[in-house]
Parts: sequence; C-alpha cells; structure tokens
Amino acid sequence: MKNMMDLETTSLRWRWWAASLLPRLAGPIFDKEMRVSSRRRRNYVLRFLYIGLFTFLASVVWLDSLVRSTSSVYQASRMAAAGQTIVTAILWFQFLTAPAIAAVMLSTSISDEIYKRTLGVLMTTPIGSFQIVIGKLMSRLLQIVLLLAISLPLLAVVRVFGGVPWSFLLCGLCVTLTTVIFVGSLSLFFSIFTRQAYAAIIETVLAMGFLFGGIPVLLAFLTDKVVSPPTLMRWLSYFNPFVVMGAAMEALYMARPAVVAWPLHCAVMLGLSALLLLLATILVRRAALRQAGGIVDANRGTNPPSTIRRVQGPPVLWKERRAPLFGRRKLRRVAEIVSGVVILGLLLLTYGLCYRANLLRDTETHVMYGVVFFSVGVLFTVILPATCITTEKESQTWPLLLTTTVSNWEILWSKFAGAARRCLPAWVLLFAHTLVFMGPGTIHPIAVVHLALLVAWVVFFLTSTGLYFSTRLRHTTTAVIANVGLAAGLWAVFPLFLAIFLGVMTKTSTGVIETYMDLNPFVHAGVIVNAAAHRGGLGTYDWLQRGMGSLSDATCWMALTFAVYVSVGLVFLTRAAARLRNNPF
Amino acid sequence: MIEIKKLTKTFGSLVAVDHLDLFIGAGDIFGFIGPNGAGKTTTMRILVTLLEPTYGAAFIDGLDVGKKGKEVRRRVGYMPDFMGVYDDLKVFEYLEFFAAAFGIEYAKRKAIVDGVLELTDLVSKQDALVDSLSRGMQQRLGLARVLIHDPKVLILDEPASGLDPRARIEMRELLRELKRMGKTIMISSHILSELEEICDRIGIIEHGKLVFSGTLEEIRPRLGLQSKVRVKVLGEGIRAMELLSVLPQIQSVEVMASQPSSSGLSGEGPGSTLLVTFKEGQMADGLIARTLVNGGVDLLSLQPEQLKLDDAFLQLTKGIVH
Repeated sequence: MKNMMDLETTSLRWRWWAASLLPRLAGPIFDKEMRVSSRRRRNYVLRFLYIGLFTFLASVVWLDSLVRSTSSVYQASRMAAAGQTIVTAILWFQFLTAPAIAAVMLSTSISDEIYKRTLGVLMTTPIGSFQIVIGKLMSRLLQIVLLLAISLPLLAVVRVFGGVPWSFLLCGLCVTLTTVIFVGSLSLFFSIFTRQAYAAIIETVLAMGFLFGGIPVLLAFLTDKVVSPPTLMRWLSYFNPFVVMGAAMEALYMARPAVVAWPLHCAVMLGLSALLLLLATILVRRAALRQAGGIVDANRGTNPPSTIRRVQGPPVLWKERRAPLFGRRKLRRVAEIVSGVVILGLLLLTYGLCYRANLLRDTETHVMYGVVFFSVGVLFTVILPATCITTEKESQTWPLLLTTTVSNWEILWSKFAGAARRCLPAWVLLFAHTLVFMGPGTIHPIAVVHLALLVAWVVFFLTSTGLYFSTRLRHTTTAVIANVGLAAGLWAVFPLFLAIFLGVMTKTSTGVIETYMDLNPFVHAGVIVNAAAHRGGLGTYDWLQRGMGSLSDATCWMALTFAVYVSVGLVFLTRAAARLRNNPF
Repeated sequence: MIEIKKLTKTFGSLVAVDHLDLFIGAGDIFGFIGPNGAGKTTTMRILVTLLEPTYGAAFIDGLDVGKKGKEVRRRVGYMPDFMGVYDDLKVFEYLEFFAAAFGIEYAKRKAIVDGVLELTDLVSKQDALVDSLSRGMQQRLGLARVLIHDPKVLILDEPASGLDPRARIEMRELLRELKRMGKTIMISSHILSELEEICDRIGIIEHGKLVFSGTLEEIRPRLGLQSKVRVKVLGEGIRAMELLSVLPQIQSVEVMASQPSSSGLSGEGPGSTLLVTFKEGQMADGLIARTLVNGGVDLLSLQPEQLKLDDAFLQLTKGIVH
C-alpha cells in the first residue's frame, strides 16, 4: 500500500514538474508574450491568411486529383495517388510557409525590447537572459505550431486513402518543425543587432539562402570530382531541410526507403538552433547591460566631430542625399563592408567555377546570373522606399517636417529621389555583369537598353508603392511587409494560384496566364538576357504567350509594360501625396 | 492673434475637443492647462495644421488654419510634447535644415541660425550630433528650431517636461525674453507653478471643453472665492479678534495655532495668527491695519492669501479623462 502511495506521489510530482517545465524555462516573459500576442490584430490576420491559402490550395489540389469521368472502381484505385498528391502539396506548403512566418514573427523579438528600452529594465529583475530568449522563442513558435496543427486532421483523413506511410507524414512534420525552430532562432539572433524588423528578416533570408542554397551549390562544384552525388546528398541532408524533403518525396513516389536519415537531420537542426540560442543568450545580456549603462549613447556622443555640411537645394532632398548608403556606425559599416567583400569573393568563385566548366558562353548561365542579380535589385527596391516616411514617423520627426512650409509634392519627390538613389547600388551587379560580357560579344548590347527600361519601371513602380505604404502605415516593418506582399502577390502568388485555378477549371491553356506572366518583371529579365546572350548573335525573344519574338515587337511589348506599370505607379504616388498629411503620428 | 470658434475634433466616437471657444491676444503668453487626455495637444495640433477639425474653425493672425495651411505654418512655430530628432544631423545642420524648409534664402541662413543659437545659448553645441544632447539641451534646440523662421505665434506643448530645476528656470527666462520680443505664446504644461509666473492669461480645459479662460485674478470670483488675509499679532490675539469681528466688511475671523515669535526677541512672548475672511467683493487690508493699531494691538505682519494655480486647477477640474 505504501509502495502504491509512493508511486502515486512520484507520478504526481513528475507530472507537476513536466507541466511547470515550460513556464520555469521561459519565465514570465512567455506569459507576457502570450497575452500580448492575443491582442495583436496582425496575428489574427496572419492566421486568417494562412488558413485561407491552405484551404484554397487543398481544395484546388483535391479537385485536380479527382478522377471524374471513369468507373467508380477505377476512381477508387486512383485514390491512393490522389492522397499522395494532396499530402505532398500540404506538406510542401507548410514546409515553405511556416519558416517564412517564423522569420517574420521572431524578427521583432529582441529589437522591440531594445528599441522600447525595456531590455535594460528586464535585467534589473530576476529574469535571466536565457528566460528572455526562450520565452520569446517559445511564445511565438507556439502560434506557428498551432498553424501546423490545423493540417493534422486533414492529413489523417487523406491518409485513409492509402499510399502515404506514417513515416513520411512524420518526416515531413518533424523536418518542418525543426526548420521552423532553426529559422526562428536565426531571426531572433539577428533581431539583437538591428532596430528594424525588416532588416532582421532580410538577414535571415540571406543567411538561409547562403546556408541552404549557396553552400550546396559550392560543394557540388568543388567536390564533383571527389565525392559521388549520393554521398554529397547524404552530407547535405544533415543540415539542409530542402534536401531531406526532396529525398523523402522521391522515396514516396518511387516507393523505396528514404536514402537520408531524417531523425539525424532533425537532431542536427535542433543542435544548431540550441547553439544559436546560446549565443543569443550571451549577446542579449551584453545588449541589455549596454543599454542599462548607456554605453551606446556615450560612444555616440564622443565620436570625433566632422565638418558641418551646409544645406543646399531642396532641404528634404539634401537630407535624403546625405543619408549614408552604408551604416553610419563604425562597427556596422565594417560588418557591411566585410559581408560585401565575402559575397563578392563568392561571386567571383562562381564565375571561376563556371569558367572552369566552360559554362560562361552558355545562354542558361547568363539567364541564371541575370535573374539572380535582378532579384537582388528588386529585393532592395521593394524594401528601401517603404522605410522612407515610416522611419520619420517612428522617430517623431514627421510632424516637425509637416509644420514647415515645404509642399507635399516636394516632400514626396525628394523622398522618391532619395529612395531611388539608395536602391541604385543594388542594380550595379546586373549592369556590371551585362557590360562585362558585352565586351567579348557574349551578350548583345541591346540588353543594356532593355534592362535599363525594365529597371526604370520596376524602380518607379516599387518606389511609388513603397512611398504609398510608408505614408499610409505607421510602422516601418508593416510598410515593408505590405510592399513585399504586394510585389510577391502580384508577381508570384497571384499568377501561381491563377495558373492552378485555370488549370483545374479549364484543363486547357486559355492564354490569360501567359499574357499575365509576360508582364512579370522576372520573366522580362529572363527573356531579355536569354535573347541577348544567344550564341551567334541576338536570338528571338521567347515570351510565354508566343509571338513578339523580333526585336521591334519585343521592344514594343516592353514599352507597353513600362507604360502600364508607370501609370499604376503614378496612381500610387498621387494617393501617397493625397494622404501625406493624414495620420502623421 | 489666435481665435478658436466652436472647435470640435472627434476620433471615432471619442470627442477630443468639444465646441471650444478661445481668444488669445497679440503679445500674450497664454497658459493652457488640463488633465491628461483633456484635449490640449489635439487643440494645438489643429492650430499648427497637423490635424483637421471635425467642426468649427480656428484662426491665426486672421487666417483659417483649415484653409490657409501654408500661410499659417509660416506664422507659427510649433514645439511638440516629444521632440523628434534626426539622429544623423548636427545641431547647426538641424537648424539650417529647418531654415531651408521654411524657405529662408541660403545667404541669410547662417546669420539666422547663429542668432537663434546665441539666443538659446547653444553656440558651444553647434557641432554636436543632435541625439547626443541631453534632454534639456534638446528642449532648447526645439525652441531654437521653433524660432528659426521668426514666427509671430509660438505653440509650445509642455516645453518644460523632463527638465531639471535649473533648465526650467532658464526656459522660463527664455520665454520672458520672447514675450519682450513681441511673440504670442500658447504654452501647455503640467507644472502649474511655471505657468503662474509667466502667463498673462490661462485657459483650463477638461473633457475637451474650456472650463475657464482669463487672468488668475478673474478666477477668484469665478470660483466664488472670498479674499482672505493672514494677520500675525503679538500676544494671544483675543483682542485683535474682538476688534476685527465687528467690522461690517469682514465675514469671519479665525485664530490659527499660536506660534512663537518669529523675531525671537526676549520678552515679546508668543505671537498669534488670525485668518480674516472678507465678505464677497470686499477687500481692505488697510482697514485691518488701522483698526488693530488704533486698538493697541501689536501688528507683526499682514499677508493676503494667494490663490494658487494648483488650487484653481483642482477646483475647476474633476480629473475626468477620456
């Protein structure tokens, strides 16, 4: 009897300990974060969008997978294949969206505390830096886990159709979850160093691009003579979730066991996350102590004085021109220059590898470089203009500017010119590549004209929309997300869903999606470089809608696209001017 | 100089300013007082064209702020309750930037900036980065910025908040100097004693409505307060009380606690303090002195009771906030 009671007490104790583990690990920060997140409208919007997209995708894939016009026996026999398609689509959807949400949600985790000067205050309480880091991470991850959990009933039901083993489901969910934890930790880590959330998001995206894209490509090039592809895949699978997901998918469709051990991958990802969190814990403490001691401000005050620069020309334009292209603080400037040098070095390495493999005369190589450099330009252009006015609102200088006699249009054009100027260096890579390869005749000179036309309207359009969101919204991060969302929606999400929808509904090509895609700037960049880098002179312009292959027709289409986007941009700019004085606080 | 007629501002269902009527004459320093959320800042923001009124109108120098925004901005200098700073500008550059923003010609700017730097005693800081300045210095810089285009009207939203006593005194002196220069100043503050010393007139606002506007002297009858005089006499004070109680102008005489003589001279004995309350509309300090001296009472001091702005504020407002 006594043994029984002892056992019961031990069991109760164990349960109490387990139940209180998370609160003890995360402390009051976890509790506070959960309360705050329940009051934030953006979290509900995010959930609504996620569930909306999820439902749309599941419905479309379901409709597409159904076999309608045959016998019921045949239909039943095809259900396993349908189940596979649906499960695959859902798992990939989760795998791609959940880490993106994690990067966004964790991007403000520490920077918010630093910006609002609450981090130093937290350090005067018994809450440790470990609890701050874990509390922030857990509270936000919990919401993403809830989003992932939404799909579980559907996945369980679809599994009844057969064709999808439990191990595959488990692999997909675990890999997604560990990727979410890793990306979240990365975003949290970067949020210690930047005041603006969008900067943390960009750094996370670039880091992921380098880790999961750059390293595999480099390894593949560097080890192609030494290591066999399966061995390389096995190596990569330890820390690259895309490889694991790809391998698992291949194993599912080929009905063979997976070549990579996903539990080991999950363990490695969790270990890397733990390492990042440990570093974050140390750095958060330093940042808090620095804030509490006012060391940052003290350093700032003792900077050696430079000369006073007189204001010349329109004042707002002068101020925008004066803004540095690189960070003003010495440490940040050094970090940015070092990063730039590293990226440039890697870039030159890729050129060297391409040269060694004799790929520099291939059209595809130049299309790849063109589209990548174009994407870099778009990335900067979509972000920087959206920060122009919101940063002034956040630092409370906006009302001061509005109480001067500077006109709305002067403010707007000055901001426009300033934003465009700051974006220009991002386009250097594209034009440098084109000009360098124009010399030996690999790329036709007309590409410069066409790319200039393309870049002009892209910069005009994105700067206009960015300024509009910047006048409309209060916070920089929201404005940046809105502008990125508009570009992504217009040029990626909408055409993708339109293609899926039209494909399901009509089963034949109507030409609508092709015409729409030919208005897409990334398609323009690809088509321009593809034609200009054609072996043996200028090739035809391969638009998706076919036709317009000649130089004159293609130029006309580009001019028409230019006119459409510039007109829409002007509408946004006019609306921004009209709204400039609305809600200045 | 500033005229507000039936000014109303709503934010959704919240009425921030409710049919406000106000007049501030040229060259006045007008203190705008009210509890947090009373509508002071909203009124000021409307006056400087940052917000549009929902109803009613406001005029500065005869110009409608809702219709002649640019002309109004040329005449007004606004200092918000929290001054934003461009963290990558130096003091001189910051001021010159705003000088240029107000359309001051390049050739004239340096002299103007030097002038306001001198007036606000910031010459030694002209090469410092704006965000490295202390709170007091930043407030001074804010005032310098406000003066850069030589506006007729200054609208200052809590300019002394967060300042130490020395900085507050300096700010007060600066405002007096600006008054001497002929500026019309509308100033809001929670430090009521600050306003008491520099304002010609005050306005008390609560729940978006003006509950009082006028001079401090005009508040007394508005509150139904009678004049009081504190009288200190040598000895017990019974005789003094008898002499004063019979006067027709006096409503009551109370003996306050007896205190030892302040002079400390031996043989004087303890003194007594009497609080004499006059009937409404009556005030005659001379009569008290004459009556007591003629009656053989040793009068030590006679001090009229001052109505403090804090007291008036507490009595006029109920502490209602939105």
